[in-house]
Formats: sequence, structure tokens, C-alpha cells
Amino acid sequence: MSKTALRLTRILSMVPWVIANQGAGVDEVCRRFGYTERELLEDLNLVFVCGLPGYGPGDLMVAYVENDEVIVDMADYFSRPLRLTPAEALGLLASGSALISTSQAPEGLDRAVDKLASALGIDADEAVVVDLSGEPELVELLREAVAATRVLALTYTSLGKGETRERLVEPWSVFTTLGNWYLSGFCRTAGGERVFRIDRIQEARVTDEVFTPPPEPPPPEVRYTPSEDDVRATIRLGERARWVADYYPVDVLSDDGSEMVIGFSASDASVAARLLLRLGAEAQLVEGSETAAALEDLRNRILARYQAE
Amino acid sequence: MKRVIERLLNLLAFLLTTGRPVSADEIRTTVAGYDQDNDEAFRRMFERDKDLLRNMGIPLELRPTDVWEVEFGYMVPPDQYRLPDPGLTDEERAALWLSAQVVRLGGQPSGPEALLKLGGGAMSGAGEPLAADLGPSADSLAVIFQAVADRRVLSMEYRDRRREVHPYGLLHQRGHWYLVAAENDEVRAYRVDRGSGYTSEQPAQAFERPAGFRIRDALPSLPWQAGEKDLEAVVRFDAEVAWWACRQLAEPAVEQPDGSLEARIRVANPSAFIGWLLGFEDRAEIIAPEELRSQLLALVAGDGR
Repeated sequence: MSKTALRLTRILSMVPWVIANQGAGVDEVCRRFGYTERELLEDLNLVFVCGLPGYGPGDLMVAYVENDEVIVDMADYFSRPLRLTPAEALGLLASGSALISTSQAPEGLDRAVDKLASALGIDADEAVVVDLSGEPELVELLREAVAATRVLALTYTSLGKGETRERLVEPWSVFTTLGNWYLSGFCRTAGGERVFRIDRIQEARVTDEVFTPPPEPPPPEVRYTPSEDDVRATIRLGERARWVADYYPVDVLSDDGSEMVIGFSASDASVAARLLLRLGAEAQLVEGSETAAALEDLRNRILARYQAE
Repeated sequence: MKRVIERLLNLLAFLLTTGRPVSADEIRTTVAGYDQDNDEAFRRMFERDKDLLRNMGIPLELRPTDVWEVEFGYMVPPDQYRLPDPGLTDEERAALWLSAQVVRLGGQPSGPEALLKLGGGAMSGAGEPLAADLGPSADSLAVIFQAVADRRVLSMEYRDRRREVHPYGLLHQRGHWYLVAAENDEVRAYRVDRGSGYTSEQPAQAFERPAGFRIRDALPSLPWQAGEKDLEAVVRFDAEVAWWACRQLAEPAVEQPDGSLEARIRVANPSAFIGWLLGFEDRAEIIAPEELRSQLLALVAGDGR
């Protein structure tokens, strides 16, 4: 949203609230709408010179501060806030429903979602349902380690190579995206920032050692952090394989609306190979000799197993 | 920015109170801030303002000014502008704000706009303890949501044809958004990211949801349980991947003396099942039925390319 739109939205939200709560304190209005006192005065002065055609004293809105109280009058047409956009309403209902499906919902959230849905004329339980349940058992333990800033000892099996290692990790956050749960943090064993899939953690132990977290840990998301050792492949995706671009961190090299060409990078060639194998005729490897070799190897290993009997 | 906001407040006050559509010409001569000397300057200014108001979600409508529909004018119907009061308490607003911060849609935590409209509140609190991302794109979802809320027919491109469906609800499960909708009375779950060109049709209240409908019933909890087939797969997982298979299966599996695992798994969607099983590379094998074995082998051998 542009700065102008954001400022206008705030005015169109603050005015009706003050009309309904005449004489509210400056502090209260500032706190509620995220104003500094100066910003609030500027917006009130602006409201004061606006109104209906004629623009005389009887046509303009009244807005001022007196004895530390905020007064707005002559603005009946702004007595209710602007309705929510579909995206805003969906955002609130979806995030509310998501949090309710976990064990982390704050007090009052279920009531809030019900009230909001019925004001919007929809059935909260059926119109938007987000199910984040089924969090792995380890999540609770990992959250505790994040909160207590304790170093974790993990037994982790990597997705790429499938190898199992013991790791010491300074945990920063636990989060979920695209149906999987992740732990992000600084991996002492690897000497860098890493994101771990929680369902690939075979064991986790909270150690006694306390670490100092970074002042601003990076946002919890599955980022692809390029490294020199990465294996790159160029892949053409047919229409039915386009979801890959949403599911993996990829570079979109070209997109004609049906076919898409992507640059795919991963720490190991087997990641792209498994993806290509499962997509079958819906995707083709355009470039990437290591991936081609890994795909061939994977193909042969599976065929050998099935033909062994 | 100050003059733009004044102009927009004046325009909005005017359009909310006229009770009739007013032409652009009338706006130019009546509303403070629009008295431009030349036509082009006015036109550009007015276009920009209309875009901004519409992007904010203000229902700026173009309607005929007379019964012959010769001329058109603008109005903002007050009943569509206004937010019905949900009557939230401060505690409930705070809960909504917190959940919008820890659960992201479209890659970003929600902005403060929605909460401001609902009456503001203490907007602080960090993005912990739960951080969840509901997917990268919110645009299609907003269109679908509007159709669900207004009960409008939704038209979309899905699997190589255009479809018209009755959208019953949106469901997010196992990392994906599904539209649960009926096409010719057949209810199913469509993956939102596999469709495109979503548009909602006029009029509102075009259909009723069947009584007793439950959105959660539309989608089973594992992806290969959703489909037309009813097969029982017997799968052998090697010892080194047994822990990983166990964590993901709904059915109990039998451990063999060598540490490997034999599982009997209900499969309704063979492609989804095989896609998942290939993640185990050559450390898993479908023992039966032959139908699934040959489908996996055909995919691995690269037939059909």
C-alpha cells in the first residue's frame, strides 16, 4: 500500500473511533493508531479543512485537541470505518484459524475470529480453515531451546545426500512453511547459518550451554543460500509442473504462461534428480551434467532393485 | 501528500453523501482540489485518485446518471463503504494482531491497515512463538475468498479447461491451499496453485451450500489418500530409512528381523503416492500390487517421453 493510501486509511479509521469515543485522551488515540502526538495533530488539522462542497464553517469537519482530549464532529459520513478488503479479511481469518489449530492461540482469538466472520456474513468454521496441526513432537523441545537460548545437540539426516551427522546448533527460531516444520539457527559444526527440517532430526538434546543470539536474527523462512559447491541445473517445466516454482527456491529464467524454465540449485545433485524423476514427462533437464548423471544413477539403482528378484 | 489527502477526503465525503451518481465534470467544478485549468491535468489527477481509492478497497462505483443510461457518474454507496461493527474487545483485537504477525500470507506479515479499521490497538509483540508461512501468493486467494464470502459462481482455468464452480470454502492443509467447490454438484478439493485466471461472477448469493457440509471432510490428511482409486500397497522400507517412513505413515508398520519395515498403505492417488515413495530412492520397494509396481517402473524408466 502506498504511503498516501496508508495515511488515508489511518485517518479513515481514527476519525470513526474518535466519533464513537468522544473526548478520548491524546495518548490513548496515539497508542491505538500508532501515531506520534505530532502526526496525530497534523492529521487532525488536515481533517479540519475538509468537508462538503460549500466548504464554509457549517460544511467542514471539526477536529481538534482540547485539554488533552481529541474531538471530532460534523463528520457523520465518516462515522464507520472503511470495510476490509477481501485480502485483509482473508489474512485475518486465515491467520486466526491457523493459530487456533495449534496449541499457541492467545486468549480471545477464537471469539475474535467468530465475531469477525459473522460481521462479514460468513461461517467462520467452514469458509476459511487453516490446519497447522500435526506439528512434529520435537517442536516443543526445540521451542524451549530457542526461548532459553541453549545450544542444541542434533542427530540430523540431510535431505540432499541423506547422510546422518551429529551437529551442535544455536537455535534461532522454529517455523512452518509449505507443510513442513523447520528450525533455523547457527550450525557450529558447519560454521554457518542453516535451516533444518524438523522431521529429519532423529534426536535432539538441549545442552547446558547458553549462547548469545544475534540482535536481529534473519526472518524465519526457507532461504536458498547460494554456495560455490552448489549443483546447478536448468529445468523446463510443463504446465502441470509449474507448482515446482512455488515450492522450491528457484530462479525463473523464462515463463510464457504455460511453460516455464527455471534455474535450480541445491547442495547435492540428487535433489534435482529426485524431482525430475517424479515429474516424469512433465519436466525436462535442459542443462546440468552433474544432475543428468545423478538422474541416470538414480534411475539405474531403482530399476536394479525392482529387477533383482 | 497533504494536498492529495485533503482532496481525497473531500471527494470521499462528497461521494458518500450525494445519494446519486455524479459525473467527472461535476466533481471537477464542485469538489475542492479538482479545479484544474486544463482538461488533461484534471483527467490524470482524477484517474490517479480513483486508482488509489479502489486499491484501498473503497467501493467507487460507476453508474448511469439517468434512466436512458446515456451518461455515467460516480458514487460510493455508504452501506458498501462501511465496515459492519464486529464488536471486538481490546483483548480480541490484540489476539488478531498477534496471529496476523506470526502467520504470514503472501510472504509478509499483514500490515496494520486491517487492525486500524477494526479500531486499532496495541500493535506490538514479536513474531514468536509460532511462525508460519501460508504460501507465496495471496492474489488468487483474495478473489476466491470474495467469491466464497458472497457465494458467487467462480470461474477458473484448471487442468486444461475452464470451469465454473460453486466455491464452498478455502482450506489450508499440509502446506497447500485448496479450494473446496462443487462443479455440477460434485464436490472436490482443487489445489489453488494449480489453477489460474480466477474470476468471480455476478450475482452474489448465487447458490446455497448443502446443509451439514464440512470442509475438512473434503480432504484426507495424506496426499495419496485423495483420489478415485482404492488400492492397498505393500511396501518394503530398508532399515536405514525406516524411522523416516514411520514418521510419515498413518498405518502401523511391521518391523522385520533385519530392521527393515513392511507397511500396508491405502492408496487412492497412485501418482501422489509414487512421487512420495521416490523420495526414498532405491531404499524402498513396492512389493504389491503389480499395478503400482508397473506404474512406478514406467515413470522411472522414462516411458511416455
